[in-house]
Amino acid sequence: MQREVGTLPLAPALRARLAAAGFQTAQELLDTGPCGLSKEIGISREEALEALQVVRQECHGDAARTAGGSGATRKCTALELLEEEQTQGFIITFCSALDNILGGGVQLTKITEICGAPGVGKTQLCMQLAVDVQIPECFGGVAGEAVFIDTEGSFMVDRVVDIAAACVQHCHLIAEAQQEEDLGKALETFSVENILSHIYYFRCRDYTELLAQVYLLPEFLSEHSKVRLVVIDGIAFPFRHDFEDLSLRTRLLNGLAQQLIIIANDHRSAVVLTNQMTTRIGQSQSTLVPALGESWGHAATVRLIFHWDNSQRLATLYKSPSQKESTIAYHITSHGFRDVQPPAVTHSTEGPELNPRKRPRTEEEKQ
Amino acid sequence: MVVLRAGLCPGLTEDMIQLLRANGIRTVVDFVSSDLEDVAQKCSLSYKALVAVRRVLLAQFSAFPANGADLYEELKSSTAILPTGSPSLDQLLDSGLYTGEVTELMGAPGSGKTQVCLGIAASVSLGLKQHVLFLDSTGGFTASRLYQMLQARTEDEEEQARQVLGRLRLCSVLQLEALQRIQVVRVFNIYELLRALQELRDRLSQQVVSSMGPLKMVLLDSVSAVIYPLLGGRQSEGLALMMHLSRELKTLAREFSLAVVVTNQVTRDSSSGPLKPALGRSWSFVPSTRVLLESKEATWDKASTQRAATLAKSPRQPTGIQVELDIG
Repeated sequence: MQREVGTLPLAPALRARLAAAGFQTAQELLDTGPCGLSKEIGISREEALEALQVVRQECHGDAARTAGGSGATRKCTALELLEEEQTQGFIITFCSALDNILGGGVQLTKITEICGAPGVGKTQLCMQLAVDVQIPECFGGVAGEAVFIDTEGSFMVDRVVDIAAACVQHCHLIAEAQQEEDLGKALETFSVENILSHIYYFRCRDYTELLAQVYLLPEFLSEHSKVRLVVIDGIAFPFRHDFEDLSLRTRLLNGLAQQLIIIANDHRSAVVLTNQMTTRIGQSQSTLVPALGESWGHAATVRLIFHWDNSQRLATLYKSPSQKESTIAYHITSHGFRDVQPPAVTHSTEGPELNPRKRPRTEEEKQ
Repeated sequence: MVVLRAGLCPGLTEDMIQLLRANGIRTVVDFVSSDLEDVAQKCSLSYKALVAVRRVLLAQFSAFPANGADLYEELKSSTAILPTGSPSLDQLLDSGLYTGEVTELMGAPGSGKTQVCLGIAASVSLGLKQHVLFLDSTGGFTASRLYQMLQARTEDEEEQARQVLGRLRLCSVLQLEALQRIQVVRVFNIYELLRALQELRDRLSQQVVSSMGPLKMVLLDSVSAVIYPLLGGRQSEGLALMMHLSRELKTLAREFSLAVVVTNQVTRDSSSGPLKPALGRSWSFVPSTRVLLESKEATWDKASTQRAATLAKSPRQPTGIQVELDIG
């Protein structure tokens, strides 16, 4: 069976004309040739040539296809993927409990979604990640740059300066403790000004700008190939207000999700989205659920939900392809996103088990 | 609706085609359904030649009826039942996944569809030593999780191997071989998916014994991710592409005796309505078996690895059967 004309990526009007003229398979189109085609369906020769070009590209398998680019199929065995994953780095969050439940940190090539009520710390985590992605490899980071797309206007540069300063100081402490040469060299380029200059900031005011920005992102990323993190802070905001046509919204969101997955995959970067919460009114009670509807839940590969428990902030891993669901507590200090400091305990009782969260943090940076 | 062309069959020359076209006969269907005496008079062509051409065209383009008994024999000899690796799911599916059919897994986000697909891939690749094609459209395929599942499954065999051969290294070889039998293709829009399926069909029909080997299972995770951006709106193009895709999947399953598993999302009609499978009524006719996966807990506060699988549509079992699955 040949490839049918209906399945080729041609313009709908052209497809309709081809169907009316009686063409069924791609082979027939190729046999007819551009002159015959332009006569049959009444289009110009240039258009016919273009259409045949597309058909030829679709049908002639891997041999004709050039390596790389969006035309190549992304094929490999599971074994190759496993090797790739094992050498891939994570973006740490400086909160070791959160890194543990994520399996090491925010994963590259996947979309992570952070949902939470207002004020719980989503933008804080995004800013922390934009700084953490730049940690040099000898300290356990991925040494990449970050793209920050802001739709709510909640990006505060002075806060990022605080977070960056704390991160630089942390790395200095490790370098002094370890006394290795390459750590010292890496630190020369790792300064607050450097960190800030590698965060590319875009402000999108409505959903059209957001969509345009995401569709133009692949070009930007091919120029700036060191980008390893794309943050969209507030993907719910432009889509929740003034949208009369809900089916259009679903369609746009799903197209956006697919585009983001392509970006994450092709450029090997992590995509982090933040989402708002909405109330679902059930039979007898109402629950807080992530906004943008059921179908949006499938867009993200990893979903984290931040919520409050009295005055303690908690993070739940709700959806992940490789980790179990679990909940941990975290804290936001002046230095950024951190673990919860356990209360001061008498040192005599527990011995080396004391403050288990404090010790793993320094060990993590060594990896 | 094939257009008449010179060389389509012997006896059909360019001049004949021009004459026929001048009288409004452009496609095979027009030719075969018209009155040949009439045509012979109007186009001044020989009646015998036209009848000969019609006979050849009919032989080339029509479908042949098959005997029910022959069909049954063929089905018995070519259908295989592939175990999913989870005994409760096998029980739900009437002992496993049938080749030649499309099975659908649907569920809310986080309900375990990708986990079940990985488990099926692991079981078929390790247990049956068959090749598996995994079409990933969501980016959710994690090879390390698959490796974890394979390790869990080879633990029983480890015991036996230890007793028989006294060597543990044999088991990791089994896992690596199993990983090599699973091929992963990432397709992020409908055209890439159709292209990948076409390539698969070409490879299988040419029977190229390449690294593919004997393919028995195709997993598509998820079909709604590629189709959702096309549906709705004024154009009915999305539905047409969805039907093309469904036809590809079904003919692949039937012609090459593959078991095809797809995953689908669920949506709600309104914010408080019941969950229903995505992609609407047109898609609901495509899979022959549908399984709904749900979390046991209603809220996301409590974490567990237990899931409930309900049979929503099946040609063999009564619907509504529910079993418990552990995706841990």
